[in-house]
Amino acid sequence: MTKLTYFPGCSAHGTSEEFDSTLKLVMKSLDVEMEELPDWNCCGATSAHVMTENLALALPLRNLVLAEKLSNKTMGIACASCYSRMKSTKVEMDNHPELAKRINSTIIEEGEYQGSVDVKSMLQFFYEDFGTEAIAEKVTYPLQGLKIACYYGCLLTRPKAITQFDSPEYPMSMDNIVESLGATATPFDFKTECCGASFSISDTEIVLSLSGTILEMAKESGAHLIAVACPLCQSNLDMRQPDIEKKNGTKYDMPVMYITQLMALAFGYPVQDLKPSKHIVPIEQALSHIGEEIETPEVKKKPKKAVQAESEVE
Amino acid sequence: MARVGVFVCFCGANIADFVDVPAVVEEAKKIKEVKYAIDYKYMCSDPGQGMIRDAIVAHRLTSIVVAACSPRMHEKTFRKALSDAGMNPYLLEVANIREHSSWVHQKDKKAATEKSSDLIRMAVAKSMANEQLHEISVPVTKRALVIGGGIAGIQAALDIADARIPVVLVEKSPSIGGKMAQLDETFPTLDCSQCILTPKMVDVASHPYIELLPYSEVLELDGYVGNYKVKIKRKASYVNFDTCTGCGACWQKCPVKVPNEFNMGIDKRKAIYSPFPQAVPNKPVIDAEHCTMLIKGKCGICAKVCEKGSIDYTMQDEIIEREIGAVVVATGYDLWDPKPYEEYGVGRYKDIITSLEFERMVSASGPTGGVPVRPSDGKIPKSVVFIKCVGSRDEAKGIEYCSKICCMYTAKHAMLLHHKVHDSHAYIFYMDIRAAGKGYEEFVKRAQVETAATYLRGRVSKIYKKGDKLMVRGEDAQIGQVVEVEADLVVLATAVYPYKDNSDLARLLGISYDKYGFLSEAHPKLRPVETAKAGIFLAGCTQAPKDIPETVAQASATAAKVCGLFAGDTMLKDPMVSTVNTDYCTGCQNCVTVCPYQAIITEEIPLGHGSKEIRTVAKINEGVCQGCGSCVAICRSMAIDLAGFTDMQIINEIVSI
Amino acid sequence: MIALGQQIENKFLVAVNKKSSNNILDCYQCGKCVSTCPVSSFMDFSPREIMQMIKLGLKEETYMANSMWFCLTCAACSGRCPREIDIPRVMESIRHLAIAENINPDDPRVKNIRKFHEIFLDMIKRYGRNYELRMMAEFNIRTRNLFKDIHLAPKALLKGKIPIGNEKVKSAKAIKRMFEIAEKLEKTQ
Repeated sequence: MTKLTYFPGCSAHGTSEEFDSTLKLVMKSLDVEMEELPDWNCCGATSAHVMTENLALALPLRNLVLAEKLSNKTMGIACASCYSRMKSTKVEMDNHPELAKRINSTIIEEGEYQGSVDVKSMLQFFYEDFGTEAIAEKVTYPLQGLKIACYYGCLLTRPKAITQFDSPEYPMSMDNIVESLGATATPFDFKTECCGASFSISDTEIVLSLSGTILEMAKESGAHLIAVACPLCQSNLDMRQPDIEKKNGTKYDMPVMYITQLMALAFGYPVQDLKPSKHIVPIEQALSHIGEEIETPEVKKKPKKAVQAESEVE
Repeated sequence: MARVGVFVCFCGANIADFVDVPAVVEEAKKIKEVKYAIDYKYMCSDPGQGMIRDAIVAHRLTSIVVAACSPRMHEKTFRKALSDAGMNPYLLEVANIREHSSWVHQKDKKAATEKSSDLIRMAVAKSMANEQLHEISVPVTKRALVIGGGIAGIQAALDIADARIPVVLVEKSPSIGGKMAQLDETFPTLDCSQCILTPKMVDVASHPYIELLPYSEVLELDGYVGNYKVKIKRKASYVNFDTCTGCGACWQKCPVKVPNEFNMGIDKRKAIYSPFPQAVPNKPVIDAEHCTMLIKGKCGICAKVCEKGSIDYTMQDEIIEREIGAVVVATGYDLWDPKPYEEYGVGRYKDIITSLEFERMVSASGPTGGVPVRPSDGKIPKSVVFIKCVGSRDEAKGIEYCSKICCMYTAKHAMLLHHKVHDSHAYIFYMDIRAAGKGYEEFVKRAQVETAATYLRGRVSKIYKKGDKLMVRGEDAQIGQVVEVEADLVVLATAVYPYKDNSDLARLLGISYDKYGFLSEAHPKLRPVETAKAGIFLAGCTQAPKDIPETVAQASATAAKVCGLFAGDTMLKDPMVSTVNTDYCTGCQNCVTVCPYQAIITEEIPLGHGSKEIRTVAKINEGVCQGCGSCVAICRSMAIDLAGFTDMQIINEIVSI
Repeated sequence: MIALGQQIENKFLVAVNKKSSNNILDCYQCGKCVSTCPVSSFMDFSPREIMQMIKLGLKEETYMANSMWFCLTCAACSGRCPREIDIPRVMESIRHLAIAENINPDDPRVKNIRKFHEIFLDMIKRYGRNYELRMMAEFNIRTRNLFKDIHLAPKALLKGKIPIGNEKVKSAKAIKRMFEIAEKLEKTQ
């Protein structure tokens, strides 16, 4: 059994409860014991680094130091924003001893930072510590017929120097996981475009515009739904969708689901466990595509042939 | 009795500002052997040299010390002054009081002055042990090797051969012609590239002084300037070129199709092929990697249809040797692979192509009959986006330099598009328009006005697919607005980059290269076609990105260099070489091991006078020796001395301070 | 018209370079950041223009721009910048410098953005964590926009999207202390 320190983040106990609960189901299936970081605090999100330099590092640092008191090597972080703050802080602390000393002084009562715990997003944890084959083995209800646009947002793969994970421009880890569940990942060019993030509250117009484009392109890719691994992306794309539709005068009907919800479904948990009622855009219609025959995808066959065609004999 | 003359140079302000030159002269006069000492503003100038010549005669000087800049700069100049005055030029010593003193001690004039005096004292002491030396004459093999058969190699080979010097031209592919053969029309005159190139290719093949070795590679180079030996691999072509008439029956019947490199993979060629109709030599070769006869022993159709019986499946690679005196490296360039541009969807979208693919499409003899088409659906594109600086000037993608030719050929592409597809429009994303060249700015203007191409100043940040269009997004910094162009086809002007194996070739030849793999010239301004290794020259894009006129000019320059080198029957060489005192040599051969130039061999001499027993001693080939001194340092019995830097000279220097 | 040539040393450029550990002089104005940036069209001056303004030493104008307040730190620009400038870091630096000098752009939207972050940080200071409903409510109260997003409220509440309850970090004291020390550090830097 793998053990993992779990950092849920503020939204797991709020807007993204269904992320949290399905994550726990998925981890159970994967035989991972999650130990929630005791007494964790908010990572500071966007606000801390917008306003101050020191708090932006001090808030995540406290969590890193707390995590070092547990015996687990890795801390898995559900929220992409928390992950980004925590990983950035870790990189800064590891590489700038002077700065590290200064920041550590703000929480010196909690202990001294050692740098002994690795920080991963849940997507990264699934992809690197399990891999698509191990995930595919757990599938009892293949999501065949479901077309999914995988949306990564900004922070899971960017900046490359911090995340050291997948491509910042056209990542494929979530796409590969989705395919291992039996679903089809659609070619989606906007998988790392920003959704508007925390402007959701302070300047909603921006979110409507940015998330609108993402929904439009997901639709264009032929997807039945969007898969995400970030609570803020989920709430912007889902909760704001009616407003976006109103603004753009179109209907998207594009459910936005967490990758863990899809995994839980494929691992055999009933739809009710995904907490469908939490979604503003209902998921049932999209999920009804499961089991549909996949049209023989010409696109898929061709490249295979092209590879053989390196030299072809008449 | 030694009579030394000391000449101290001001070097304008370079030395005089930081060294008290008159004081240095006075100090020099105190040295016992110094019979004459004087300073002058520019010792290297004609009057300065005159002072040296006159003093040699007037004061009956026996050796000369010039205190000035680095000997690398003017040693030759002053040696000549000595010769002109009838003195052996190697009785000169240069005390470097500029680089070694004034320049590095600008904040302490007193110390710099004292150090300059010390340097002069050392040079005087060294000159006490100077001997008359004479340049060594080495025979020259008057044959040149040209590596690479593109326009650079072709021009170099023709110019050298026209001077009646034999040339061996080695080309790795089945035909000469290189990149220029793939181009359609050329800027700034829109000459048809093949029309001006193919006559030169034919000239190469028919030239009595050129030995053309296509489908061949250089394996080894030994020796030294004027006396190199090269090993060349002639790859098995499986076709007897002597009997083959180039009729084409074999490639018409060959059933194996392979992506055609000459057409950038847009169409297919056969496993037995000649790369293009005007190929020189116009004989096919069999691509052993794909021929089913060579892989599985099945097929044999080409042999069956060949009336001349020229096909020989048993042919083996052959290694040949040639003796040559000089090398011209003209291996050209490759196009940089734009794969790192993930934000452009390179590799995901078929309708994003490179500039050379576009060039092949618009070529009348190209795979699409001279009309650009979308690789995805074969439709003729109306809205075409050209993106410049793809790779070039993008440090994040690993390339700092400007590829130099893209601004011009992109303007040309806009014109060609306009000529071939009348109802089309070109959008060109650029950062700067670099059109420095004769007729270049005029050409760009012509392209802009005649085609009405839309020039947008900015780097493209993203390309994505919408329906069957490619959406190209960038900022037009001229109006400070983000623009998005709906494109049918996107053409990337990818960077000019050296071939992957260019650095391997450099190591094989013993010449240096930069971090990209471009070969390094000896001096960026004054020796642009020479390498640091004597007798090896550079032409074309193997050294840096350049266009055709510049490549041809550089190729002709290498030819002039080769001809100059071969002007005499022998070559004179510095006499600073090692000599072995066989009385002391124990024959340990450590010197043989350390010599980087393979200049030391062994010989057997009688054990003593008239003795019949023999012993082994080291022997130095003065022609090969470069005077590095490694053998002197390693020799345990102190049997080796280096002329011009003898132990006695060095000890004198050390003792003098 | 912008008058140049009166000051030889560009102190603003030096300050921004130092604070951001970047070199603005690397920028060659290609604009790749501008068309990458999801919010450049909302900015008074695009990231490219901000770079040039720093090069020109236009401190006041830069501080008065809303640009750095609109930066989402999505890092798309820096990932594509051919000269590898960490643009979000530069934006952050000029924002922190402007805060330190207490210069605020006139744009009311910036005031909202700033208010949002202040409330957010205040909440963390008090509870150690963030409570979304309280956050939204406080924001609307403090920006005198009581009914913003009100149409979402019933839906979100009914669906349990935004829970009403609060939880508090046990060591609230440690967090409070952290804030105090960090504030002090901010002043001494």
